[in-house]
Amino acid sequence: MNALRVAAVFRRIVTQFRRDPRSLALLFAAPIAIIALLGWVLSSQQTMTARIAVVDESPGPAGQIVVGRLQSVLEGQAGIALDRSVVDDSTARQMLEDKKLDLVVILPPDFSLDNHKIELLTLGLNPTAEASVLPAVQRALFMAVAESAAGAALPTIERATVYGSPDATTLDTLAPVVVGFFVYFFVFVLTGISFLRERLGGTLERLLATPVSRAEIVLGYSLGFGFFATLQVTLVLAFVLARLQIPALGPIPAFAIGLGVRTAGNPLIAYLLVLVLGLGAVSLGIFLSTFARSELQILEFIPIVIVPQGVLGGFFWPTDQLPALLQPVARILPVTYAIDGLRQVMIAGADLTSRQVLLDLGVLAAIAAVFVLLAASTIRREVA
Amino acid sequence: MVVDPTPAPAVEATALRKAFGEIVAVDGIDMSLPPGRIYGLLGPNGSGKTTLIRLLMGLASATSGTARVLGVEMPSRSNLSRIGYMTQSDGIYPELSVWENLTFFAALYGQTNKAELRTSLELVELDKRANTPAMQLSGGMRRRLSMACALAHNPQVVFLDEPTVGVDPALRVQFWDHFHRLAAGGATLLVSSHVMDEADRCDELLFMRDGHVLAQGTPGELRARAGTDSLETAFMSFATGSGGSTETASKAEAR
Repeated sequence: MNALRVAAVFRRIVTQFRRDPRSLALLFAAPIAIIALLGWVLSSQQTMTARIAVVDESPGPAGQIVVGRLQSVLEGQAGIALDRSVVDDSTARQMLEDKKLDLVVILPPDFSLDNHKIELLTLGLNPTAEASVLPAVQRALFMAVAESAAGAALPTIERATVYGSPDATTLDTLAPVVVGFFVYFFVFVLTGISFLRERLGGTLERLLATPVSRAEIVLGYSLGFGFFATLQVTLVLAFVLARLQIPALGPIPAFAIGLGVRTAGNPLIAYLLVLVLGLGAVSLGIFLSTFARSELQILEFIPIVIVPQGVLGGFFWPTDQLPALLQPVARILPVTYAIDGLRQVMIAGADLTSRQVLLDLGVLAAIAAVFVLLAASTIRREVA
Repeated sequence: MVVDPTPAPAVEATALRKAFGEIVAVDGIDMSLPPGRIYGLLGPNGSGKTTLIRLLMGLASATSGTARVLGVEMPSRSNLSRIGYMTQSDGIYPELSVWENLTFFAALYGQTNKAELRTSLELVELDKRANTPAMQLSGGMRRRLSMACALAHNPQVVFLDEPTVGVDPALRVQFWDHFHRLAAGGATLLVSSHVMDEADRCDELLFMRDGHVLAQGTPGELRARAGTDSLETAFMSFATGSGGSTETASKAEAR
């Protein structure tokens, strides 16, 4: 052990970092920026006014009394907007779907003073977020029932969702999101690094000395990485959706391969969404490789390009609950649209006739097209 | 090869200039190179040789002036199919085999004739290595593969940027023999080098320094004009004569 040599290595590393201001900035600025972003999102989520309707499907007068009480209690609650215009179940469901209502309180047909069963219906695309209004409603419910029928049994509250199931695990609702996000992440990193190698290894210079056009290069790259992205999506989707039970064999206990997540919609549409997202990621990788001088610098784009999309893209928090300033940012991120589309398809069972899914696909395609152009524009850029 | 008495130049530059901010890499070069000959572009490192070649190829955009190859103003993507370019770095894919590298670049040029490609591998003596991944090749073999990739489409004009750097003397002789065969077949070659002992193998030389062409002529003419037997001394006499710089070029040229 020679202190001098250790010191030499130490000094060299410090000097190298000083010469790479971007890495240095990233080392200090990136964690703070990301934590600040998270803090912002977590602390100042829009306190949404929950739009609530009460629907009475029960035949008897008991229901009417409870509904009346319930409405007056709910009306007094802060953060709750009661919509008295909704009276029947099907209108209420439609309005949930159109995002005009957040929650519907339903007194089912078999409601009576002896059978205090009350249903709380939400959309079900993002059960975790939808649950945030539940406590206030539950409190109001207990108050209303207690006042209207003193001594009566406390109501049984049942959660119901239009799509999916109310007891959907986090896994069920996160699966679509994870699929989209990881494809984006890996395709971006792989393309970025391979195109950087092309630039650094002199093969791009050689490519540009041939009659090949920029469009041909970008298209070829998209096909090449698209091919592997397709395989990846196939495998990931199969793993997420399928569940293969392996019986116990000798000392190995029985186990299952795959997650067996239920999908309500056509997996092929989910596939299409992820593919268009992946194509955008290929071009983004090519584009950003211009601004990197080493593989390390490609990886440094992850906290700048990937992490904010994870925070803002609807991964955990619905886009419309983000702080107002961040909402427009979330609306230009491709992952936002992929996640929305995947949720629509996998949880709500939407198909290609759904305007929402078509919009998501269209925006993803437009973003991909913009990055194809950007990527192509960087290819003839002078290297020397 | 019978040369037309007044052949159209294969490579032409008119007041070609390229500035990177303050630094002028190519400073108003005029040249006109008739076809079927080997031109040596000689000068120390940083004299603007690579930039000049990139300008002539249309890979870099000129600040001012024009470059023409085979009568076509560059940049011209379609014209690139008649031009070969061997870059200073090998520019081959290490994961691909010799044959895969060759067929890839040839395909971009539209050359898919397998028999011809096999011949071009034989010319650089890599035919027995066709299935070897490029990363397992020695430095000299990689240079040869790089050259085969640049010549696979039988270009009429070939730019070779320091093709013999890191190449052993025996292989260098083979390279030059190959260049002469190409020139005899009518091709025009512009070979950059900072090694003066290669200069005598060229039909004509262009001495380059600080973005200027100091002198142009056959090796014999240049020796006579400088009044010396050594091209190295000749280079220095042109360098000091025109630029007035006291820095000697020989240091940069020394291998």
